[in-house]
Parts: sequence; structure tokens; C-alpha cells
Amino acid sequence: MAMKTTLVGGFPKIGDRIEEQKLRKSFHQFDKDELSEEALEQVKDEVTEEVIQLEEANGIDLLTDGLIRWEDPLRYFVSRVSGFELSGLIRYFDTNTFYRQPVCESRLETIKPIFVRDFEFARGKSSKPVRVILPGPFTIAKLSVNHFYKEQKQFVFDLAHLIHKEALQLEEAGCEFIQFDEPALLSHKEDIRLFFDVYRIVTAQLSKSEKTIFFNFGNIQDIYPKILDLPVERLGFDLTQGHPNWEVLAKAKMTKKLMAGIIDSRNTKMEREADLLSLVGGLGSIADPDETWLTHNYSLEFLPRENAIQKIKLLTQVASQQKGAGVS
Amino acid sequence: MILETTTVGSFPKPEYLTKSRFQFSKQQISREELLRLEQQATKEWVEFQEEIGIDILVDGEMYRGDMVTYFAENFKGFEISGLVRSYGNRYYRKPVAVAEIERLNPVTVEWYQFTQALTKKPVKGMLTGPYTIMDWSFDEFYPSRRDFCLRLAEVIREEARDLEAAGAQFIQIDEPAVSVRPEELDLAIEAMGIVTNGLKAKTLTHICYGNFEKIYPKMLEIPVDQIDLELSNAEYDLLDLFKRHPFTREIGLGVVDVHSHRLESKEEVKKRIRKAASLIPLKQIYVSPDCGLKTRSVEEAKAKLRVMMEATLEVREEFGSEGA
Repeated sequence: MAMKTTLVGGFPKIGDRIEEQKLRKSFHQFDKDELSEEALEQVKDEVTEEVIQLEEANGIDLLTDGLIRWEDPLRYFVSRVSGFELSGLIRYFDTNTFYRQPVCESRLETIKPIFVRDFEFARGKSSKPVRVILPGPFTIAKLSVNHFYKEQKQFVFDLAHLIHKEALQLEEAGCEFIQFDEPALLSHKEDIRLFFDVYRIVTAQLSKSEKTIFFNFGNIQDIYPKILDLPVERLGFDLTQGHPNWEVLAKAKMTKKLMAGIIDSRNTKMEREADLLSLVGGLGSIADPDETWLTHNYSLEFLPRENAIQKIKLLTQVASQQKGAGVS
Repeated sequence: MILETTTVGSFPKPEYLTKSRFQFSKQQISREELLRLEQQATKEWVEFQEEIGIDILVDGEMYRGDMVTYFAENFKGFEISGLVRSYGNRYYRKPVAVAEIERLNPVTVEWYQFTQALTKKPVKGMLTGPYTIMDWSFDEFYPSRRDFCLRLAEVIREEARDLEAAGAQFIQIDEPAVSVRPEELDLAIEAMGIVTNGLKAKTLTHICYGNFEKIYPKMLEIPVDQIDLELSNAEYDLLDLFKRHPFTREIGLGVVDVHSHRLESKEEVKKRIRKAASLIPLKQIYVSPDCGLKTRSVEEAKAKLRVMMEATLEVREEFGSEGA
């Protein structure tokens, strides 16, 4: 059986060709009151559809909607939650990209589902399964300021309940694959017990979908194999060549399904196919190869669109080579 | 004088220049015509800085797009990538190292000379640091980040020496990226040492938008005379760190937020200066905006600079005899 391919989340919203820049242009027009909000949403849908088609055309097995509607990793969610205000720009981990820092000013509440419509839209555009990416509550809390809750724990738990609600609604809508992005755990490993408490809340009663937690911006030393006890079916890690995670994973058998980020999406340098095939060969000793997904290590938005496409092509090429090797 | 004032580097481009840069990219106007307009805009900004009484001037970077890409475009060994998003609807092109980096000619010296000839006040030579150019570029050539960074340090050193030889009394080497990877701070310090070693000009670096808690007080080891910091954006939380460990260098004190449309009140700015003055000796404090002002409109940038100057003058009065 072949390893499946997927994207970890975001895809570049624009490219260098004029016809790939309509979203950027539409935002400019919207800012100048030359375009209505409805028309802007329409353009977001069009670009989302193009990205889905692009993933499919390049052989990706499990699609995402490319997070085209997301302004930054937190804002799309928090700006739809009552209780949050947005503050100044903050650098997102060690990147040269920024996010508006959420500030919690009152009890957090959502009035209507945030991600279901996006899932249904994406599902309607492809016959392949669509994975939905959700911002992880632990990371949202770590990257936000809490002015309301007396205890930080209560703030995280309320966020966990909100994300749980979203996941439940996604399951009801038929979503089979849900991913929670939790980069912040790797820089706050001391909070691992709290992280377990958070995921008990997030995953309660979720029985229909396969749940993944994706970790990047660091390594899993000191929290592995402990994280194998998390109540999800799959864990995703940065497993590019030479990454410390390789050494850590060698220490204990992976008892969960693996999503392996083997391609570097923060550098334009193309990996050699032979090197990637060798990495993929090494995955066999870490986790069940039949259940392993191949992907990249960070959002593809860190690359220009043309380079992102080249990396996707390489990913699917490697997966198909691996399949060939498996058959022989 | 106490509380000398300066700015971090970039100013917004006037509309006629933005339009001309677009026309130039479409080959609708000549390089000479673009240069004429860049010089005109530079003159206008120098006049404005003199008018409001800023002490140490900048050229405003009317001829630069992005602070890293500008240098990459002028160094051999770099190519320029497609568009990458930084935040919101803002995109930029990243350099890609594809061969050994070399400087064939001085890059900023002519602009320094042009601007300095317009004023009797000192004009800063403005460079981007090796660590930041490395961190904000793609690398398809060097085997490691360290190799890439140290090569860039040698190239930037050549530029700094040429600026000094051209008369620059202040050379600013911006390193906004050093605040995000504490584990690489030693590399950034080593690279800055290569750039500033032997320079007689006053050297400065600008650092912003990062996790200062993790690099302070170690960042005081960056071998420059003055460290300019973004402080307003984080509501001056950073100053609490200085209570625990004194800030031993000169500080460029960011007093207005460059990413907010909101105009600070004079009282707010005065309060920020006073707060810093309670922790850092007055003679070590230089007043500036948080960062380059190029993302604001010309009007917003001018208004923020005016408030900065008015507040500084009043605080100078307050501290008058103490600072003399």
C-alpha cells in the first residue's frame, strides 16, 4: 500500500502571474471601498477552488482548502469568537511573518460554526477527501494575552471547548479528517500535563473522524514518547533530513499513525529525490508505512507559489516512486 | 545635549514616487527619471527632518523596496524569488543565495553622500545586518546558516568601511531578525563583530518584533555602541527587563508605534521617555520611532514624528539641568 500525500495546511494565496493575483488586488479594492464584502468573499472562494484543483491535479491524496481565507494562523478563528480583541503585530515564531495578537477581554463564545461552511465548500469541489485544519487551543492561548480569566488554565479550557465544538460540528457535517495545529507545545514542553487536559476536552465524543495533532517550530525531545498517549489517532512532525526528531523517534516505537513532514517548505532549495526516497525508507522503522502520510514541514505560504507547486510535485513523485518500490 | 532624536531608517514614499517606481517596473520611464524623483523625495524628507529639528538624519530609503532585498539585488550571488506574504495583504520578494555572495561595488555610499550634502546635520549610513539578510533569504548555495551569515558579514563590513571612509559618523546595521532565535544569538554577535571591528564611526543596530526576554541581557554583547529597540508596540513591557539587568549600552528608544494608524498623544510619548529615563541614564537615551515608518502614509509618518519631537523637547526642558 502506498503512503498517502497531503498538505499540512496553508498554500500561497497569490502567485507571480497577473491571473494569480486577484485576491491581493481584491483586498486593495475592498480597502478603498471599491469592492463589497460579498464580492471579496466570492474571490476567496474562487482562489480556494483553484488551489483545491491544483492540489488534485498534482496528485495530492488528502486535500486541504489551502487556508486561503486565513489572514494569519490565529485571526481567522479568534476574530469570529466574541471576547477577543486584536492587538499589535507580533512575529510568528522564528519566521519573518506576523500575526495580530489576540487579547481576551471577556468570556469567550462562538455564536455559529466557523469552519463547517469552509469544509462543505471544499468538499463540493473535489471527489478526494478534504482535511480541515483547526488552530490548536493550546497554541492560541500561548500566543494571546488573557485579560479576563483569573486563571490561565480556565482561558485554555474555554478555548478547548470552542475548538471541540467546531470539531464536533465538522464531524456532523461529514468531515473525516481533522488536524489541530499545536506548534506552541514545542516551546512550552513544561506544560505537557495541561496539554493532555486540553486534548481530553477537545476530543471528547469525537468518534467519527481521524484526528491529527501537528507539531512544528521545534523538536519533540523530552515529550516523546509521552505524546503517544494523546487521545488522537495521528501525530505529525518535522522529519526533514537531519532534523533532531529522527533521533528522538528512533528511541520508541511509534504507536500512532504518522504524518511525516519530509520536504522543507521554508527554503526554495529542491530536495534530491534520492535523498527523499531514503528518508521515506527510514520511516518504515518508525511507524507503520501503510498508515503513514507524507507531507512538508511548515505551511507552504512560506514559499512563493511557483516553488510551492514544485515541492508538491516532488512530494507526489516521491510517493509514487515509493509505491513502485513497495510493489516490486 | 540629552535625548538626541533620530529615526530608524525608512519613510513612506510620496505618491509620485510610488507611481514612478511602478512605471519604471513597466519600463514606462527611464532609470534617470526615477533617480531624479528619488532624489527629489529624499530632499523633501531631509527638509522635513530639519524643519522639525531631528538631530541625526536618515535618507529615508526612497530608493529601496525591502531592506533585505535591496542589498541582495546589489550583491552578486543572489537571485530574487517570487512573492511571499509577510502579513495581511503585504507581500515581498525574498533573496535566494545561489552562488558565493560578493559585493562588486559600494551599494549605499552614493546615497549617503548625496544626502549628507543636503544638510549640516549628521546623516546615518544605513545597512542591513548579515544575520538578518541570511535569515530572511532562501539559501540554495551555502551548506549551513553559519557559513551563509559569516560570508555576508564580510561583505557588509566592506560596505561599512566605505561609508566610514565617505565620512559617515553614524553607521546603523539593522538586525531585526536576531530577536527570534536565541540559540543563534552567538552567531549574530560574531557576525556583527566582523562588521564593526575597527570602525571609528558610532555604530548602532535596530532590533524589533521578537522575544526580547529570551535574548536579554545577552543581546548587550552585540558589538555596537547603541541598540535601537521597538518598545511602544509592546506597551513598554520590555523596560521591566531592564529593572532586573541594567541596559548598559546607549538605547535608541522607540516611542511611537509604526504599525498603528493611531497617533500617539504628546503626553503618551513623554510618559514613555520618562519611564525609560527612570531606568537608563539620560545621556544613554536617543529617541526614535519603533521602526521604519514606511508602512504609514506620509501624513501619518509626519504626524508621528512631530509628536515625537514635541514630546522630546518638553522632556528635555524638564530634565534640563540634570541632563546638562
